[in-house]
Amino acid sequence: MADLKGLVEAVAKALADEPHAVRVSETERRGMTVIELQVAPGDLGRVIGRQGRTAAAVRTLLAAAAEGEGKRATLDIRDAAGR
Amino acid sequence: MATPAEIGAFVEKIVTAMGLTLHAEVEEMPDGLRINLTGEDGSILIRHQGEALGALQHVVGSVFRQDVDERRRLVVDCQGYRKAKDAELKQMATFLAEKARNSGLAQEIGPLNPYERRIVHLAVGEVDRVSSESIGDAFEKTVIISVK
Repeated sequence: MADLKGLVEAVAKALADEPHAVRVSETERRGMTVIELQVAPGDLGRVIGRQGRTAAAVRTLLAAAAEGEGKRATLDIRDAAGR
Repeated sequence: MATPAEIGAFVEKIVTAMGLTLHAEVEEMPDGLRINLTGEDGSILIRHQGEALGALQHVVGSVFRQDVDERRRLVVDCQGYRKAKDAELKQMATFLAEKARNSGLAQEIGPLNPYERRIVHLAVGEVDRVSSESIGDAFEKTVIISVK
């Protein structure tokens, strides 16, 4: 069983300087699993990566994990203010 | 500072969260660490030209970059897929370098990502009288191999 939320949480906490500020939630939207990730504003850069490369890599891992379950999943990244 | 065992444990944690049953073996290499994943679910990481494997390597690299010496590499492989692909790329680079030297004509390979370009530059460096250079300003660049 894939744990999509746990996957994003593990990666985000490992990347963040403020792991306690990492919040991950999972919702269903039009048949798709949406993982919403919130991190401290100072950690946004590390989680997103240069040219969005880290965020793209996490989305790829998420898609591969969801595919195994016959699901589709996306990742939304926000800072602690909810933007 | 993360130990090789901690890095291996992190990789296993990620693939387990992906729902994959894989075991991480950490191997010390002269130029860094190689983490090879083995198990029945390896094909999920390898399919689409190793797309998910590349993503995993990027994530692991981002997490442990500060922990690893500049010149040391962190390579994440799965059932030796990357090792075989890298050997093939090295062979192709050597072949093109010799072709450039013998014909005097510049040879092109790519577009390649930074990890792949490093393999090409190192392979070309082992061939006399040729040099290589990356061109372009994107993440993936073409490498030109020409006579010095």
